[in-house]
Amino acid sequence: MVKLLLVSLLIVLLVSCSKRRTVEGQPVRILWTRDPESLDPLVTPNQSAIDANNLLHLCLLSVDYSTKRYAPALADSLPKVQFAGDSLTLVTYHLRPTATWDGGRPVLARDVAFTLKLMQVPGLPNEANKAQFGFIRDIRFDPTDPRRFTLVCNGQAPGLVQESGDFLILPEAALDPKGSLRPYQLGALNDRAATAPADSILVKLARRYARANLALYPGRIPGSGPYQLVRWDKDHLLRFQRKPHWWADALRPAPPVLEAQPSELDFVIIPNEASAALALRRGSVNVYPQVPVREFRRLQASAAARQQLAFYTSLSYDLVYAGFNTRRPALSNRLTRQALGFLFDPKALLLATQAGLGQCTVGLVHPTDTRNYADSLPPLALDPARAVALLRQAGWHRESTASDTFWTRQLAPKTPPQRLTLLVRYRAGETAFETIGLQFRAAAARLGIAVELRPTENASFSSALQAGDFDVYLRLLKGNPFYFNFAPILHSKTVGAGNLTGFGTPASDRLIEAIPLANTLDSRARLLRKFQRLMREEMPLVPLFFRPNCLAADRRLVHLYPGGLKPGYAAAAIKWTTPVVAVP
Amino acid sequence: MKASAPIGIARARGGRALALGWLAAVAALAALGPLLPLAYAPAQPDLAHLATPPLAAGSAHWLGTDPSGRDVLAEMIFGARTAVGISLGAAVLATALGALLGGAAGFWRNHGWRVPWPAWAAALGAGWWALALPGAPAALVGAGLGLAGTLLGGPRWGRRWPVPLDAGVLGATALLGAVPRLVLVVALAGTLPLTPGGLLAVLVLTAWPGPARLVRAAMLRVTAQPFVAAARALGLPAGRVWWRQALPHACLPLRTAFPLSLASLLALESTLSFLGIGLPPEVPSWGHLLGTARTEPTAWWLVAAPGGALLFTILALQYLGRARGPGPAK
Amino acid sequence: MDHAGGRRPVAVGNGIFRRAGRAALAVWALASLLFLLSRWAPTSDAALGLTEPTEMQATAAETPGAHQLAQRAARQRLGLDVPLFYFSRPVAGPGQRPGWHWNGPRNQYHRWLGALLRGDLGTSFRDGQPVAARLATALLYTLPLTGTAAVLALAVALALAAGLARGPWWRRPALAALAGLQALPLFVLATGLLLLLANPDALNWFPTYEQAGAEDGLVALGACLLPLACLVLGAVPELALQLEASLAHEMRADYAVTARAKGLSVRRVVRRHALRNALLPVLPLVVDLLPALVAGAVVVETIFSLPGMGRLLAEAAATRDYPVLVGGVLLVGAARLLALLLADAGARWLDPRVS
Repeated sequence: MVKLLLVSLLIVLLVSCSKRRTVEGQPVRILWTRDPESLDPLVTPNQSAIDANNLLHLCLLSVDYSTKRYAPALADSLPKVQFAGDSLTLVTYHLRPTATWDGGRPVLARDVAFTLKLMQVPGLPNEANKAQFGFIRDIRFDPTDPRRFTLVCNGQAPGLVQESGDFLILPEAALDPKGSLRPYQLGALNDRAATAPADSILVKLARRYARANLALYPGRIPGSGPYQLVRWDKDHLLRFQRKPHWWADALRPAPPVLEAQPSELDFVIIPNEASAALALRRGSVNVYPQVPVREFRRLQASAAARQQLAFYTSLSYDLVYAGFNTRRPALSNRLTRQALGFLFDPKALLLATQAGLGQCTVGLVHPTDTRNYADSLPPLALDPARAVALLRQAGWHRESTASDTFWTRQLAPKTPPQRLTLLVRYRAGETAFETIGLQFRAAAARLGIAVELRPTENASFSSALQAGDFDVYLRLLKGNPFYFNFAPILHSKTVGAGNLTGFGTPASDRLIEAIPLANTLDSRARLLRKFQRLMREEMPLVPLFFRPNCLAADRRLVHLYPGGLKPGYAAAAIKWTTPVVAVP
Repeated sequence: MKASAPIGIARARGGRALALGWLAAVAALAALGPLLPLAYAPAQPDLAHLATPPLAAGSAHWLGTDPSGRDVLAEMIFGARTAVGISLGAAVLATALGALLGGAAGFWRNHGWRVPWPAWAAALGAGWWALALPGAPAALVGAGLGLAGTLLGGPRWGRRWPVPLDAGVLGATALLGAVPRLVLVVALAGTLPLTPGGLLAVLVLTAWPGPARLVRAAMLRVTAQPFVAAARALGLPAGRVWWRQALPHACLPLRTAFPLSLASLLALESTLSFLGIGLPPEVPSWGHLLGTARTEPTAWWLVAAPGGALLFTILALQYLGRARGPGPAK
Repeated sequence: MDHAGGRRPVAVGNGIFRRAGRAALAVWALASLLFLLSRWAPTSDAALGLTEPTEMQATAAETPGAHQLAQRAARQRLGLDVPLFYFSRPVAGPGQRPGWHWNGPRNQYHRWLGALLRGDLGTSFRDGQPVAARLATALLYTLPLTGTAAVLALAVALALAAGLARGPWWRRPALAALAGLQALPLFVLATGLLLLLANPDALNWFPTYEQAGAEDGLVALGACLLPLACLVLGAVPELALQLEASLAHEMRADYAVTARAKGLSVRRVVRRHALRNALLPVLPLVVDLLPALVAGAVVVETIFSLPGMGRLLAEAAATRDYPVLVGGVLLVGAARLLALLLADAGARWLDPRVS
């Protein structure tokens, strides 16, 4: 019995090992660390879902990874912009005449209107979209051209234009064949109170949408994108096949944002980094985006891997920073915050945690953004002597007893003196944050400041930060090169929501409000530089460094367009080439 | 057989000395850690040497460093304190608690232990009052009366209702086993932070069901053995039979289980650290050190040092466990 | 020791009903406890399908209040805006006596229990799919793997313990090796196996699961060998060590000594007499394998990229996807209760004197 079992196992093994595949002409296999969970175009719970949806559907504008600018996708050119009054922007688009849904129906302005309204219909999982695109108040059709329309947007910030074209357009004919949403005004749907009585037409529409179950079967509606989902094994594999006849194939020259090279795209889900690196080495995946730095270095160190793989690094828009709880009496004083800022050692931390691949920064603006980056500010560095001087200036005294040293301050006469102790929170399980925390703790301990590190599990971390239960927190801020809206994280109005530091002065609020409204790039740059200087002065948060974006891929793949923008590569543009034989 | 006996004894003595020696060394390290002349202090990251292997050129880290740049040797030595204080302490407490509860449940089952009704009334009233349900003061009065009745009336008072010990213990073990730790932590999240005593309590709370079930199962068999029946037939009080005769024999499986539970407690401790209610990272611990190998899978030294120390501790405890304890049931 | 006779006829039918009733009660208590515990904490943005405001340097137009509005709307859609239970205890203001507030049947627990009685476990917060369907898919991957692993582990442990009870020369090294295996965390074991046996730089013997699709069954089967080995190696030490200790104890008992004195071989004594008795104290460990079958193995599934139950539950817990979490844990809890019943029945079968 046992022998029989062993023999059969051996046979299985031999068969499975002997099954060799040639890579040439094969699909491009890309690694994901997590399942997209839901492919509902209205819900994008994670980066995988965003990437997958971008293969199925198209936006009016999308980012051209080669230039890092927004370029027309479903629209045939960048929109025309007009300001109306002092608070409205009119953005006029024209859709590509050749653009069609699967099945040949043209993509028209009606579909755009339907999508915008769908994002406001109650009872659908569209809350995130509702918040993001609520600024589009109305859509005006052109009576002479069913492909031309104008979006009426609240506000006049330059970023609005790009954002007004950054949502997936869905087909009206498939989801609302009778056009029941057409009588509704976008603005009226937008302003509908949550307590308004149920509207039978809207309820019916929401029900039909829920029945379609696009989260699991995105193929139930036609798309305008180049791929269709042919297979989805949850937590294991997603397979996208190139449509044999896609409308954009006829465009000459093909715009870079409408490229779709691989005949098949496989996304393989491997949550563990060591297994992921092995899969890349074995060739069972060809592209490994956002490789953790240590794994990246290990791969680069292996001679065999260097022969097989190409390595790309760029600077991401993910900022690692420390924030102070300015509501705490001890940290309400900016001199204290500045002093503590001198206890971080960004340079050594960058070298240690990112293998020196990222870049230190003086502020929240990306260092590659030479127009806006405040290069006149000195970089932050470890300087305990200055920290001591600043602490003294802030009114703290160092006291020593036989067993320990500590800093105290008399806030008001006849009150017990206040001790400087800090509770540092960060997300548990992330080595980089642990290293930063330990470095800060060691530097503070040398001065006699007691620091307690409290790694916290993901969801409790968010709620602890919201509740203000911390003195210092370490976190990642995900940014992008397009928008400079710091209100959600630093405006005094968002204290208790996104502004975890509790910081906000009238001067800083005015500056934060002024930046998105600046009319010219030069005036915006002036404001941004002023903002960075102000943040250095007030120091509600200590920007440490931007993380690198590491990508490892098969050498024979070209046109990856590696870059700092998420996801860090252009999946649809990737091409196989015949391997170049190195001549000695 | 007889000729080899002295050799066997000598070997046993040698093994015993070795086992005791190792445990003593761990205890000594725990006590004397701060006095040792170490090149690096614990919880101090050396940012120039991250995840360096032992005895690498240009570094004075004898046992290497972990992915955050902490010296493995310092972490090991100071981690011995945590191991002795928390992990071993929790293992002992959890095993003792589990043995008592499991032993009682297996011995008395659901009908063996009867309590007079005034005591039940007292418990009910106290519970009512503690929850501040409507009519709490009346419940408090009821509880007082019940307590007085129990103390004064004692065994003379009418009906005695059985306490479903077995069902209670089984239910509790099933619940604690089924609730994932993360859910427990979510529930505990409001009561943060944990002191070392609190951590000990959480560890004991989650670890006692294992020994309890082992002892209960053994007790079911022991109570069926003739010597227990004989002791009862002699008219000895049940409590004494349980404590003197039954429990020592029912605890036999623990001799193997106890050393092994140390390993699972170390793992649990690092899980709790991950969830943010365990030991903070500045407290050196073997479990945490072992856990750092997760991010650096090729760093064998992160497994070898704490894993080796853990293995020797388990072996030493196992050896001592086998050498002592009551003989087989006769 | 006589284990052939002495089985008393008992009122089986009555006992079974009582037991089943008790088990059902326990499942209900467990489910309720889990439901209430898990919803104690506030729901995260991830569970509501929103991005956290601080994670994304928000876009050009989002206004400060928009995020809270979106949160409220999402909570309303998921039914999280009504009270949790029939009664609650509002935080007492200054000078107020803390008291209880009656919420009536319009509460989350009532709705959930009603749906549960109709056989509806609810839908996942994250992807809106029925929880039962997700659990079923995950179980389809998990059960064959963990089932095989449990059977193999039990067989290996029994064989090892029986071999060790004969006191061969390799007893001590084997015991030490087992203890060493127990001291290794499972993730070290799994990563070690992977780096040794499925690595182009070392030995590349085994296929891994990400290479396989559903159509290539053989590769998938081959890919399961490493995780299987890992699960077996992880489960064997404790079982084998306990069993060996128990067996050694039995071998010193009178009946075994007598049997040996009668001239029976050690092997025969172990097989025929001691093993059955030695199993009794180890039974809880054996029976514990059953809930583990259902719960899957997070570590092994993550490292070998298997889409199983362990990963599903771990991710649900991490993102606070309560419907999936409670449904999964309910399943595991039910398996555990079943296991306890089996343990009781097993104890009776092994030693009929245990009543």
